[in-house]
Amino acid sequence: MVGSAALFGRTVTVIANDAQAVNPRFPVVYFGVIGMEEAYKMACAVYESIEADKDKSVGEKRPLVLIVDTPGNAPGKVEEIFGMNKATGAYQLALAEARKRGHAVVAAVIGRAISGAFLCHGLQADHILALPKQYGTIIHVMPLSSISRITKMDIERLEELSVKSPVFASGVDFFYRLGGVEEIVPSPAGLREAVARHIEEIDARKRAGDDTHTGPWGRGLLGAERGGRVTRPAVMALMEEEFDAVAARYLK
Amino acid sequence: MDWKELQSASFLECTARRRALALVDEGTFTELAGPRDRMTSPHLPELGEAVSFDDGVVTGVGLVGERPVFVISQEGRFIGGAVGEVHGAKMAGVFKLALRAYDEACRRHPDEPERYRPAIVISFETGGVRLHEANAGLLAHAEIMDLMQDTKGKLPVVAVIGSKVGCFGGMGFVAAATDAVVMSPQGRLGLTGPEVIEQEMGKDEFDASDKSLISRTTGGKHKYIMQDCNVLCDDRVSAFRDALCALLAMPYEELVKYRRIGSYALVKEQMGLTALAAALNPFDAKDVWQYFGNGEADALPELGTEEFLAVARRREREV
Amino acid sequence: MALRHLEFSYDGVPGASIPREWAHSGVVGSGDMEVLLFRREQQGKVKVKVCTPVVGFDHVWEKVLGKFVADSGCGDLDLEINDNNATPFIVSLRLRQALLEARGGES
Repeated sequence: MVGSAALFGRTVTVIANDAQAVNPRFPVVYFGVIGMEEAYKMACAVYESIEADKDKSVGEKRPLVLIVDTPGNAPGKVEEIFGMNKATGAYQLALAEARKRGHAVVAAVIGRAISGAFLCHGLQADHILALPKQYGTIIHVMPLSSISRITKMDIERLEELSVKSPVFASGVDFFYRLGGVEEIVPSPAGLREAVARHIEEIDARKRAGDDTHTGPWGRGLLGAERGGRVTRPAVMALMEEEFDAVAARYLK
Repeated sequence: MDWKELQSASFLECTARRRALALVDEGTFTELAGPRDRMTSPHLPELGEAVSFDDGVVTGVGLVGERPVFVISQEGRFIGGAVGEVHGAKMAGVFKLALRAYDEACRRHPDEPERYRPAIVISFETGGVRLHEANAGLLAHAEIMDLMQDTKGKLPVVAVIGSKVGCFGGMGFVAAATDAVVMSPQGRLGLTGPEVIEQEMGKDEFDASDKSLISRTTGGKHKYIMQDCNVLCDDRVSAFRDALCALLAMPYEELVKYRRIGSYALVKEQMGLTALAAALNPFDAKDVWQYFGNGEADALPELGTEEFLAVARRREREV
Repeated sequence: MALRHLEFSYDGVPGASIPREWAHSGVVGSGDMEVLLFRREQQGKVKVKVCTPVVGFDHVWEKVLGKFVADSGCGDLDLEINDNNATPFIVSLRLRQALLEARGGES
C-alpha cells in the first residue's frame, strides 16, 4: 500500500507492504511477499515523491516512511522469466536516489524483515527502526534450521554460536549490534514519535551536507562503532592504501 | 597461463583471478587486498569452515586504453562465491576507489571526460549472501546498491556473467542495477535459485535438476531476448573482453541507455512488462520467446551464439 | 569444531627457493586448497602452516608435506596453506603446481 499521509502535520509518503494480501495474478505473492508488481509500484511511489518535490530544498522535501513486514521476494518461475531481480533492484535504486536527493527515508520494522525483501524494502533507508522481538519482529536472512540444512552445519552448534556471534544469528538485537538498525523502539505506541524524531535528525544532517552518517554507509560506521563489523573498515582502508601506492599508473 | 593464452580460454572454466587479469589490458592488472594480505573472513573459523586469503573475490584495478578499470571478480569455487563481511567490503572498496578516481579524472581532464572516465567491471559468480555470516552479507549488499546509485551520472558499471555458479540472490539485483550486462549463453542470472523455486512451487512446476529448463529461464540467450542482457557473446575470455572494450568505447550517455532500471520511465516500462507476465502467464520461457516473434522457439537453445544472434527476435525497448 | 592451525618444519635445500619474494596459487574449493609461498633465507628450512577444518589427519599432513619437500628439492621457503578437505593426492599436486608456477613454469 502506498500513499500520502500527515505525520505531526507534515506530509509524508508511506510505503507499507500489505502482510495479508494475496496477489491474484501472481500466485507466489501472499502474506507480505514482495513480487514484481509490488516492487515496481513501490518504486513508482518513490519516483513520484521525488518528482513532486523536485523544486523544494533539502529539508523541505517530503520524507518517505517504509513500514516493513515482509517474508521475502516472490520465488516463482514467471518471476524469474520476467526478471524479479530487476523489480527489487529498481525499488532499491529509487530509494537510494530519493535519499541522495534530500528526502529523509525512515524504515520501521514492525514484523518480518527477511533477506532480499528487507534489502529492497528497508535497508536502503536513511535510518531503520525496529520494534523489539516480543512484538514478533524478525530480522534475518534465513532461520537457523534452514542455515543448518543448507550449510550442513550442526543446529545445536549453530544455536550455541548464535548467542555470541551476531553475524549469522536471527534477531533484532543482533542486527542492532551489527549497526543494521539505528534504534529499537520499545513499543508500538512510541513508533510515531520515533519516526518523526528520526526524520528531523536526518533532515538536519542533510541540510548540513553530511551524507556519511545515514543510509547503508552510515550503518557501516555504526557496525564498527558497536563492534559488530570491525573487519569491514580495515579492508577498505587497506585497499585505499594499496591503491595510493600505484595510483600514478592508473590516474593519468 | 599468460594473458595472451588466457584470451582463447573458456570464460566458464576460468578462476576469478584469471578473469580479472584477462579482462583488462595486458600486464595492467594490480590486485588490491590480494591473497598476500590474508584478509580472511573473521567469522568462518568459529564455524569450522575453511577460509580463503581473498575471501572469494579478486579486487583490483587495470587499464583499458587510458581508462582505469576497477575490477571485481567473484570465485564460485569458494563457498559458491557468496558474499560475507570481507568479500562485501572488498566490493564496496572497489566502488569507493572508482568514485574517487572519477573525481580525480574530472579534476585533471575537465575537457576529456570520455577518454579518462573510470569504469567498474564486475565478473559475477555468486549465489548472493553467505549464510555463514548472513547478516553481515545482507548489510554489504545494501551498501553496494547504495554505491551503485552513487556511480549514476559519473562512471559506467558493466556486469559480465558467464561463470559456473551464475549470478543469483542479492547479487542478481546488483547485476540488474548496473549500466550494461554482458553474458554468454552459459551465463545464468536471476534472483531466486532453481532449488528454492522448486521447493516453493513443486517439482511439476519447476524441476531444479532440469538443466535446459534452468538455461531457458535464467540463461544468457533468454536474458538477451528479454533485453536483460545487452551483449551476448561466446564463452571465450577474449569475447567477454572485446564486449567490455566495445561498451567502454561508447560515449557514456549512449551506454547508459542500456539500463533496465534506475529511472521512473524505465520502471514504467518494466511495469508494462509485468502486466504482460500476468496476461501471458507463461509455463515456459519459450512461450515468451514466441510472443516476441520467435516462431521457432524450440530451435533457439540449440543454436550457436552467432546463429542465435542472427535469428533471435528481442523484446522491443520502449525507453 | 573451529578451524585448526598446524605447523610443520622440514630441512630443505639451501638456496632452492622461488625467484620472487612471494607467490600464490590455487583456489579453496571443496576438496581443494590454496598456498602462499614466501622466499625466506633460513638455512634451507621449509616451514609450513596449514589452516584446515579436518581433524585427525595431522600425521598425514606431516608425511605428504615432507614428501613434497624431499621430492621437489625446494628449500628456504615459508608456505601457508588454506585447506578445504583436499586429499593427499590433491595436496601434492597443488604444491607441485604452485612451485612450478612460482618459478615461472607452466602448470
